[in-house]
Amino acid sequence: MIYHSLLYIVIAVSAIMAVMAKKLLNAAIMLAVMSIAVSLLLFNFNAPWAGVFELSVCAGLITVLFISAVSLIKKEDDLLKEGRIKYAILPFLAAVTAILSGIYLMPYFEYLTNYAREAAQNPGVGEIIWTYRSVDLLGQLTLLACAVFVIKAIFAKRRIEE
Amino acid sequence: MMSYTFSLDWFFVTLIFFTGAYCMAVSRNIVKQLIGLEIISKSALIAVISSGALTNNINLAQAVIIVLILVEAVIVATGLALLVKNYRLNGSIDLEKLMSLKG
Repeated sequence: MIYHSLLYIVIAVSAIMAVMAKKLLNAAIMLAVMSIAVSLLLFNFNAPWAGVFELSVCAGLITVLFISAVSLIKKEDDLLKEGRIKYAILPFLAAVTAILSGIYLMPYFEYLTNYAREAAQNPGVGEIIWTYRSVDLLGQLTLLACAVFVIKAIFAKRRIEE
Repeated sequence: MMSYTFSLDWFFVTLIFFTGAYCMAVSRNIVKQLIGLEIISKSALIAVISSGALTNNINLAQAVIIVLILVEAVIVATGLALLVKNYRLNGSIDLEKLMSLKG
């Protein structure tokens, strides 16, 4: 329980540091730290498959993408003016919403635990992915193809106009 | 005991969500916008896995999370490609300078 709460605190603190960082590179690195903490949380939830995916894709691939994109743009653009005072009410709103929802949504969460017994026979992850949700795989393939075509269209070689 | 655990989860999910929303609302930098989007999707991921743990159905939650992670990676790759192209064309990553489609 203490380990669990500690992981949550690490996630929240690294998220806040990623938002408040002045340099974009530091923000990307704090995002990677947050992804590592989320994957540890997934391992703690007994979800090793999702944890491995999170660790390899979010902490690895996305961090590399962010760092390479930040290194492609110049340093003067690091410091854009941010209207922070205008939205200073948002964190207070967040705290109030979290506390109120923690109080008032408790009966709903207790109602949710009624569904726990329906999942008594737990099929494995592979069976769920390949049998129950095999249409999702089609969606994933379509998404990947879309991303490849979009990136190809963005960086297409144009013919030199005369 | 179980509901207490989930209320802790819920508190942190909301906190992380509003952190990302704050980032997206305040910042004019496109990279910061994408970072805020990442933070928001992380909070959605934590919500999915903790509700899966609550209903004793964690394997289905894992299957959903794998799809979610892939969507996240695709969105970030496409957004960063657009960012780099826009930087090459306009020399800026400011959101308010994306005016070339303005009528």
